[in-house]
Amino acid sequence: MVYGGMRRLLACPLLFALLVPVPAAAGGDPYAAALRADAARLRLSDDRYWDILLHYKAGLFGRTSLIDDRRFFLSPRGKTDPAAELAATIDGFFETGLDEEVSPRCRFPARFAWLSGRLGIDASLLPAPSCPTLDNNLKRIDPRSAALIFAAGHMNAPASMFGHTLLRIDSSYTSPLLSYAVNYAAEIDPTDSGITYAFKGIFGLYPGYYSILPYYEKVKEYHGMDQRDLWEYRLNLPEEDVRRMVLHVMELQGIYSDYFFFGENCSYNLLFLLEAAAPSARLTEKFRRWTVPADTVKVAVAEGLLAPPVYRPSQARKIRHIAAALDDDGIARAAAVIDGREPAAKVAAGDSPEDNKARVLDLASESIQLRYMKRQLGKDEFQKRFLDVLSARSRLGDAAGELPPMPVPERPDEGHGSARASLAAGVRKDAFFLEASVRPAYHDLLDADGGYTPGSQIDFLSAAVRYYPKDDRFRLHRLDLVHIVSLAGRDDFFRPVSWKVYAGIIDKPFPGTPGAAVAVLSPGGGFAWQSKVLGLAYGLVETELDVSDRYGTGYAAGGGASAGVIRQVGRSWKVALQARQIFAVAGDTGRGNSFSAWARNGFRLGRNWALFADAGWEASAGVRFGEAKLSVSRYF
Amino acid sequence: MKRALLACAIIVVFASAAMAAGGTARENVGCGLGTMLFKNNADGSSLLQAFQATTNGTFGNQTFGVTSGTSECRQPAKFVKNDRVNEFVFANLDNLAKDIANGKGETLETLAELMGVPAAERDGFARNLKTHFAEIFPGAGVEYAQVVDAIVRVSNEG
Repeated sequence: MVYGGMRRLLACPLLFALLVPVPAAAGGDPYAAALRADAARLRLSDDRYWDILLHYKAGLFGRTSLIDDRRFFLSPRGKTDPAAELAATIDGFFETGLDEEVSPRCRFPARFAWLSGRLGIDASLLPAPSCPTLDNNLKRIDPRSAALIFAAGHMNAPASMFGHTLLRIDSSYTSPLLSYAVNYAAEIDPTDSGITYAFKGIFGLYPGYYSILPYYEKVKEYHGMDQRDLWEYRLNLPEEDVRRMVLHVMELQGIYSDYFFFGENCSYNLLFLLEAAAPSARLTEKFRRWTVPADTVKVAVAEGLLAPPVYRPSQARKIRHIAAALDDDGIARAAAVIDGREPAAKVAAGDSPEDNKARVLDLASESIQLRYMKRQLGKDEFQKRFLDVLSARSRLGDAAGELPPMPVPERPDEGHGSARASLAAGVRKDAFFLEASVRPAYHDLLDADGGYTPGSQIDFLSAAVRYYPKDDRFRLHRLDLVHIVSLAGRDDFFRPVSWKVYAGIIDKPFPGTPGAAVAVLSPGGGFAWQSKVLGLAYGLVETELDVSDRYGTGYAAGGGASAGVIRQVGRSWKVALQARQIFAVAGDTGRGNSFSAWARNGFRLGRNWALFADAGWEASAGVRFGEAKLSVSRYF
Repeated sequence: MKRALLACAIIVVFASAAMAAGGTARENVGCGLGTMLFKNNADGSSLLQAFQATTNGTFGNQTFGVTSGTSECRQPAKFVKNDRVNEFVFANLDNLAKDIANGKGETLETLAELMGVPAAERDGFARNLKTHFAEIFPGAGVEYAQVVDAIVRVSNEG
């Protein structure tokens, strides 16, 4: 944080000097002096609401604002001195002759509203600048109520699996599409490459901005382009609270703070807005190290801020829902229309039932739209095919193609907690062991899927320690730095690639020793298919690099494959079967070969408890052994 | 410390996958069907999405868009005063076309509200537009201003 602020301060000292108004100019007004004295007497700069409006957080060296943009502060010491900032703000209200872009009264309406209330400011004794932009924006937004929106993960991008949150400000219109969305995001440089996104995003090198946009733009973005489900939680807040929140949003227009993917991210920064509306709710302080968006929803639910959500399924789900109501022939006809091999009018003129024709055309229009968004279709071709299908569709009956309502998945706030602690007992080879393990975040393949993306796994820094009573030894069994698996089923309409990556330390047995720590890196990629009988079946090509002094050359590297199935049985039981073979081709090729076969079971016991039963057989570094384990897990 | 470790873990992993691709944002300007801001890279590759998801990023100055511009397009003749109708139709033309062809949907419902169609008359409004679909969307190159004009005309006649 400090680094980011310093860097920018050094980069533009001139701009900084120009933008900070000189408080002394207004300091002479006796009413300003009286208000400053009142504020000092009431200790307003220590008030929680001042912390919320200025985004102050207590740190090692006192309170510091998380906002890094100098323009957010009227005092040159404002970032670290709440009292100086408050005095400068009062003085700012007395400044005259300023443009609305720099007038403190126009730029900081929430500060003015709060100080007016607390100090009983008599506005007739203050200059009254005109703020036409602010007035127009407020009139246009017309804030009446608000909703917290959770965007679920993209089915094939595990980093998005953490979800995303935004706010929706509802007006006096009934349709939520006419509401405005408030979003906090990093402003990324489009010329950056993929790896740069991750690096800059994680280390706070992108500026984060609050934005306000029509909600329909966000719906188009998430529902269509990104194929993510939206959950809309209405906030239990009266109109005046919502208005206060919007005033604060106005203050943040064009103001940046350094964006950190794990901590000060989209969801964390939205919590300040919620606190501006409902200062009695304790939200930001619950997230000190990292902020998982779904967890912010859970906390807001626990604080009583949210009503039950409305579900807005993604276009991908809609396409699958329509396809599920069609037989193979119908899907084939839709595919022919989508590819432009058959005119839509021919489908409409056919002799199949009207409902069937309507579904074929609906499937075609949704898919053509999706292909265009994915740029698999040029604009001219899109316009032609899309309109061709819709014009045929418009000639079918009004109620044609009605579908049963879409099934609603489990609510994201009702999913398991993202941290997990487990105790286990088991047998490896012929040795009994006890195991304790923790996983700080987030979800693995055998955890219950409610609120998460099925077929996805993201585990960070999970660690397991074992105790073998036979020879009275403790061993670090494994330390997974990161273990990501993304298995996304392919079908007639979606052709995602599945992939995995593992990096960590695993305790592997070697001839003559019960175990040695091996550093393992293993990426892989392949395909998955959803089948009614087998569940999610997948096959991946994998590579693996093992590093340990137990290998003759210090390492072994090779490649191979894995295959398996994951199936949900009833509501609370999940089964996974997996086999994996790696052939070493470099380094210690003698010891580098490995084979494993595992059967794993997960039983969900209520929302935050689960039982796991695993059994497997492995051959690694020439040692063959079986293992079985029973564990109980608690989620937090 | 924890965060740094996590960060290192991710960097190591993503670096090992080593398929970094450049991201491009391209605005597909226009005034008709298919006018939209593309966000992701052409192929929407999952790896690129995985990277981008770490930023929840936005490109460019997509910040305080309380009003959105339709000024580069020809303006409708009959409804030019109601800028919210204009903006809404301009920005939602694809979904509106879909809803009108189906005779129902949220986008169409929203348009009816913006145009002040009373709740009791909305079914008739939707049915009428559906019947005149070919008139409202006469060809692939149709622009939003023509659509607004045709909707107003058809509704007044219906």
